[in-house]
Amino acid sequence: MMGREAALAMLQKALGYSKAQETDIYLSAQDLGLSRFAGGAIHQNVAHSNIVLNIRSVTGKRLGRATTNDLSEAGVRKAIEAAHQNALLMPEDPAFEGLPQPSEAAKVDSFDEATAFCSPEARAQIVRGVCLQGAEHELNVSGACRTGVQETAVVSSHGVRAYHAGTFAGLIINTMSGSSAGWAKGGSWRLSDMDTEALGREAVSKAVDGREPVAIEPGRYPVVLDTYAVDDILEALSLYGMGAQAVQEGRSWMNDIIGDQAMSPSVTIWDDGSAPHGWPVPFDAEGMPRRRVDIINQGVVNTPVHNSYTAGKAGTVSTGHQAYFTGGPIASNLFMQEGGSSLDELIGSTEWGIYITRFFYTRLAHSKGCVMTGMTRDGTFMIENGQITHPVKDLRFTQSYVEALAGVEHVGSKSKLVLNEVGFATRVPALKLSSFNFTGVTV
Amino acid sequence: MPMDDFLSRALDLAAVKGASYCDVRLVETNQERFVVRTGVVDTISNDESLGIGVRVLVNGSWGFASTNIVTPAEVDRATGLAVEIALASAQSSNGPVSLGPPVTSKGIYTTPISVDPFSISSKDNLGLLLEADQRMGSVKGISARTGNLIFIKEHKTFVNSEGAHVEQTIYEAGGGIMATARGNGEVQRRSYPQSMRQQGCAGWEFVDAMDLAGNAERTATEAVALLSADQCPSGVTTLIVGASQLGLQIHESCGHAIELDRVLGSEAAYAGTSFLTTDKLNNFQYGSDQVNITADSVRLPGLGSYGWDDEGVPAQSTPVVEAGKFVGYLMSRETASGLDLPSNGSMRAASWNRIPLIRMTNVSLEPGNWTLDDLIADTDDGILMEMNRSWSIDDRRYNFQFGTEIGYEIKKGKLGKMLRNCTYTGITPEFWNSCDAVCSDGHWTMWGIPNCGKGQPGQLGHTGHGAAPARFRNIQVGVMK
Repeated sequence: MMGREAALAMLQKALGYSKAQETDIYLSAQDLGLSRFAGGAIHQNVAHSNIVLNIRSVTGKRLGRATTNDLSEAGVRKAIEAAHQNALLMPEDPAFEGLPQPSEAAKVDSFDEATAFCSPEARAQIVRGVCLQGAEHELNVSGACRTGVQETAVVSSHGVRAYHAGTFAGLIINTMSGSSAGWAKGGSWRLSDMDTEALGREAVSKAVDGREPVAIEPGRYPVVLDTYAVDDILEALSLYGMGAQAVQEGRSWMNDIIGDQAMSPSVTIWDDGSAPHGWPVPFDAEGMPRRRVDIINQGVVNTPVHNSYTAGKAGTVSTGHQAYFTGGPIASNLFMQEGGSSLDELIGSTEWGIYITRFFYTRLAHSKGCVMTGMTRDGTFMIENGQITHPVKDLRFTQSYVEALAGVEHVGSKSKLVLNEVGFATRVPALKLSSFNFTGVTV
Repeated sequence: MPMDDFLSRALDLAAVKGASYCDVRLVETNQERFVVRTGVVDTISNDESLGIGVRVLVNGSWGFASTNIVTPAEVDRATGLAVEIALASAQSSNGPVSLGPPVTSKGIYTTPISVDPFSISSKDNLGLLLEADQRMGSVKGISARTGNLIFIKEHKTFVNSEGAHVEQTIYEAGGGIMATARGNGEVQRRSYPQSMRQQGCAGWEFVDAMDLAGNAERTATEAVALLSADQCPSGVTTLIVGASQLGLQIHESCGHAIELDRVLGSEAAYAGTSFLTTDKLNNFQYGSDQVNITADSVRLPGLGSYGWDDEGVPAQSTPVVEAGKFVGYLMSRETASGLDLPSNGSMRAASWNRIPLIRMTNVSLEPGNWTLDDLIADTDDGILMEMNRSWSIDDRRYNFQFGTEIGYEIKKGKLGKMLRNCTYTGITPEFWNSCDAVCSDGHWTMWGIPNCGKGQPGQLGHTGHGAAPARFRNIQVGVMK
């Protein structure tokens, strides 16, 4: 781990090598420890450290890029020069308004020393615990436990100077019997926030209850979605259209429906990179504050998120959503407003339908309406007369996620933070939907 | 300090610290990327990455650590950490890892290329993309255009404690264009040569041969035409799958299914397992007698081509499906040892900071005897679908659904009207057993897939898939609604 002073000093020194009109440097550093387990034992166990400098160099309305992890003076100078030379090759882009001016980001504490420096022995102890839980029920347990620290820093010739260190901890558990599977996933910036035993119980119970599933006919069913499935919906809506670049290019599900009541009034979704109950990173790869953006307001499609370039084209200001060095803006710290129903109440309100733990391998089938196809996985059950009656074989769906959220009948009262591997986080409740379109069943 | 000294230093230290096996990879990667979006140059970028990864077996368990700072002190730290991690792994173990016979490969390999892609000026590469972009933009109705080029040079040295020492320089070149059209309440796209881009282990000549500019206007015209094309009908019909789409079909329904680590459960929590369990080896009719599939790491310009894998095992060719019968897996030393087989050299790591995993090499459907014209003429009623738009498959690689950019109805042996939003779905062995014709080598192309996700932490693998158009009977199509 570099630390604030070392990171900012390195970037400030590197900035001094640039002869361009404008320059910014985004540092991304990660120290990761990850223990994978399968068949009840650790089979892959790794650590890595890497520090990458991402350089943007501007001459007039031309922007060039280069990246390097060679931190020697010669290595950094070479990358700075490469970015400069690349800028000189660019045709002028009239829409480019230059690198953004400094703007102060909120200070957010998301660093936990015990998580940053968690030992491989401590991770092995967690793994042993959940494997024992599965073994008691003759389940094959696999998954991954990871801990580490992510540092980001940005400096620019305009005076941007930002640094943040955030820790991360995650545990994925997959349990399997001969005919069933279960799942649980926990994540936080503080390892001690994760109740690993409870996660183990959750994954075990799904596999135990899911034994000997029955095939049912594809078709339209009411569904109760657990938080992991709702996370998939928000992730897809983000990837396929909550960014302004997709809207400006006409390939977003938001196109033509901004301002419309496209979803149920009980659906409110926002992005907030500074909220401590998410996985906060208070500024983006341009050093701009990650502002709260209300994307869906009581079912009305409101606005996409912006970086400085898309904001310039739209005549607005960046919302701080340049998540990575390249590519368009991404909403990566999403929240969905909780409702008033417990999970038991969501199931109890369902006369006939399907309870779904999570979706798997979901892909965009059509951008209009964000039509997705994918599979259910790791715990799919029939609901009859308000009660779970039996497990069912996994189903394929082909469904517009926008239409699915138009059919929200009840929203869960408890939200869960779902933290994925590359820093994309959602905090979501369970949902009851009036209809979901299943188009196939697996063997 | 010569780079080789860092490698031997790590081997020596690992042995002193009690490792029974150690391998070390030093990897330096250079990448150039060019992206043009709707008349604007979005990206010109040079990316460099250098680092060292140390993998050890201690007390029969694995540990791995890596660093981007290649100094004696950091190499020592990473080696010590790898040993510490292996000791922790041994606390939760199912028994010692066996690697089978030792690997002692020695040599040097370089991807054969005609034109070093790094010798071409950025100006020339940009000019190529801008011309294609301008030609797509000349077509009325196009709302967005993209074009991209990528060139990669990876130099890596691998050593192990058994005496292997191999040095490789792998070149890759790739490019592609895409046009998006909006109108009539629809959004449609067309890509060339395939979705995202076509990529191969080759020099700049690979991109030059694509003729992106020469295909730009046709690509854009088809995108606009799709706006007013008929919706793909729903039903069960005869399907001819185009070569590019079939490349991805092979990737998803065969390539992943034959990865022995998936079969044995190593990837269960993430990517999933496989229906091709070990009891099915040499004992399962995966496809019809028309279906012959080979996994090889020697057939250029496939993205799975190299001299040795990241365990030092030589590149080779393995039959996977012979006349429909399932006969082979992709294997590592550890997984092959469990079946009393030798590794077939399928372990690759995406970078110096990742462990090697079983990755697809060039998993290809061998060509048949049909011309595409004859195949269409021989089809009374059906649909031709081509170029992937969406893909999804279950965690055991049984139930799949694909969407393609374009389709054409086939009526009485002739191609008919264009179809949009084409999809087809099926169960893997049922699908491949319904294959009754494969086109000849004149229609066969090695497709590159540079974004195959696997493992935790995530790795993007680069894989090759040779395919020609093929015909399948009684396939469910049209599942968009």
